[in-house]
Amino acid sequence: MDKNNIKTLADLVRLAAEEYGEKAYIKEKADNGIAETSFNKFYENAMKVNAFIKDVSKGNKVHAAVIGPTSAAYLECYFGTVLDGNVIVPLDAQLACPDICELINRSDSEIFFYDSRYTPMIELIKKSCPAVHTYVSLQACEGADNVLPDILDKYQPTEGKDAVPDALASIVYTSGTTGKPKGVMLTHGNFVDNTTCQDNESSPEDELLTVLPVHHVYCFTCDILLSLRYGATVCVNDSLLRIAANLKLFRPTLMLLVPMIAETIYKQIMAASKAKPDVPPAMIAQAVFGGRLKGIYSGGAYLSPELIKGYNALGLPIAQGYGMTECSPRISTATLQDEYSEAVGTIVNRCEVRIVDGEITAKSPSVMKGYYKDEAATAEALDSEGWLHTGDLGYVDEKNRIFITGRKKNLIILSNGENVSPEELENKFAMVDKVKEVLVYAEDGVITAEIFPNLDIYGEADDKTIGADLNQLIMEINKTLTSSKTIRRIRLRRVEFDKTTSKKIRRNQTVQGEIV
Amino acid sequence: MLEKMKELICNYVDVDPETITDDSRFIEDLGFNSFDFMSLLGELENELGITVDEQEVVNIHTVGEAVKYIESRKA
Repeated sequence: MDKNNIKTLADLVRLAAEEYGEKAYIKEKADNGIAETSFNKFYENAMKVNAFIKDVSKGNKVHAAVIGPTSAAYLECYFGTVLDGNVIVPLDAQLACPDICELINRSDSEIFFYDSRYTPMIELIKKSCPAVHTYVSLQACEGADNVLPDILDKYQPTEGKDAVPDALASIVYTSGTTGKPKGVMLTHGNFVDNTTCQDNESSPEDELLTVLPVHHVYCFTCDILLSLRYGATVCVNDSLLRIAANLKLFRPTLMLLVPMIAETIYKQIMAASKAKPDVPPAMIAQAVFGGRLKGIYSGGAYLSPELIKGYNALGLPIAQGYGMTECSPRISTATLQDEYSEAVGTIVNRCEVRIVDGEITAKSPSVMKGYYKDEAATAEALDSEGWLHTGDLGYVDEKNRIFITGRKKNLIILSNGENVSPEELENKFAMVDKVKEVLVYAEDGVITAEIFPNLDIYGEADDKTIGADLNQLIMEINKTLTSSKTIRRIRLRRVEFDKTTSKKIRRNQTVQGEIV
Repeated sequence: MLEKMKELICNYVDVDPETITDDSRFIEDLGFNSFDFMSLLGELENELGITVDEQEVVNIHTVGEAVKYIESRKA
């Protein structure tokens, strides 16, 4: 595909259909084996969704939210929305119902596409989201207002005309440092720039197993969009439980992972090697990955040098990249041919990086328009010249490679790529009398709450008693959080935290207190 | 089932199987990451021919709870 012809996501999906035609774009498990959706069929179905949206919105441009695991149906609704200038709001499939409602309302969504597993929530969402006029279940589902299979039967494909490079394509919610998720506004041009900033990353011969959440821009750009550009096939992993089985079923040639998954698969390879000492570990590694894997791309969080070396020793190159949702997401990336380095890749084409007071700032056509309806946060992230302040500390070497040395902002980045705001979790304790002070941070990759209890309440109670009580309390708080954000460790301290002159708890102070 | 679980746990983390009890918490006590846990359940699903529901397992924290859940799926 001539990348110069791609200006919008509508161009990308149309050109992919023209160039790769009946080749399989998506493979997914179905009741009777593996279902395939060709590039042609995918574009046709997206155009039918576009016709449906035109119909129900009476020609007006709308925002539509979508929730569910990766599937051809999900992506057809995504592209059906954006290919004519409407805006898609992909929601985290792990969100609880009140959070789903909040983000539907905050994003001004009027249409809601949902995987049928969310059906039990629909009545409550209808009550809480008065602006939504149309609900569509992605699968056939009794009682649903609309179901995608019927839409695909009923409507004729309609090409989109109103998607332009500078038009908003998507609002992607990401953890903010102040607690509330911020809506990153990404344009067609942003996505296209990030999809075309590198070359020769895959080919029509490649098959990828997509295992990361599709609402993440990292997965969306690098699995979904790059496969459209290069004509590669996206195989859908139906559950995190079944990656091992799906690797054997789909036998991918390339994979995009986050460090946590890379680490677990590495452990499995090592365990299998231990059980079969006569078989070379590299052979076991290939067997685990299905036998055709050429290499792994990793992003979302920092990959340890030990793991990179471990995979390399197994004959599997692992290339690390770096970016953020606000940059669609890639700022730098390595290739599978690169020599081992502790860098997080080389700065991608058209992206400039400048280090300001130690902080990495980036400027490129991939950088977002801003945060939806949040001018203050936008002004904080984007300066007047359009430089994106990443919050990461680091440097660039003479080969244009980025090295990360720390974080400026208080954002916890877990090894599964999820970003967690410590303030959001600390705020959950605001009304809890038993906790006088709390600091949340990641310790050994585990979200930890270090607590100075209210001794007026606990009096002379010992650590064990207080610890048991605090564990109960945390269990209740965890019920209000998505599973990736739950607090899994409590440290009980007996002295107050060190504070700034404005009486704010200083972050980055020495960990104190016993784990209870 | 507990013995099978212990054997699989030791493929993910370096712990003495004798120290693993029903009350051992996967993440807090055994040092699992959340994907290790999903992966372990996937292995059990494969070996025992049962179906594990991803939505149902998010509230499992201890080895005992996991054993109980797996037993219930076998029944």
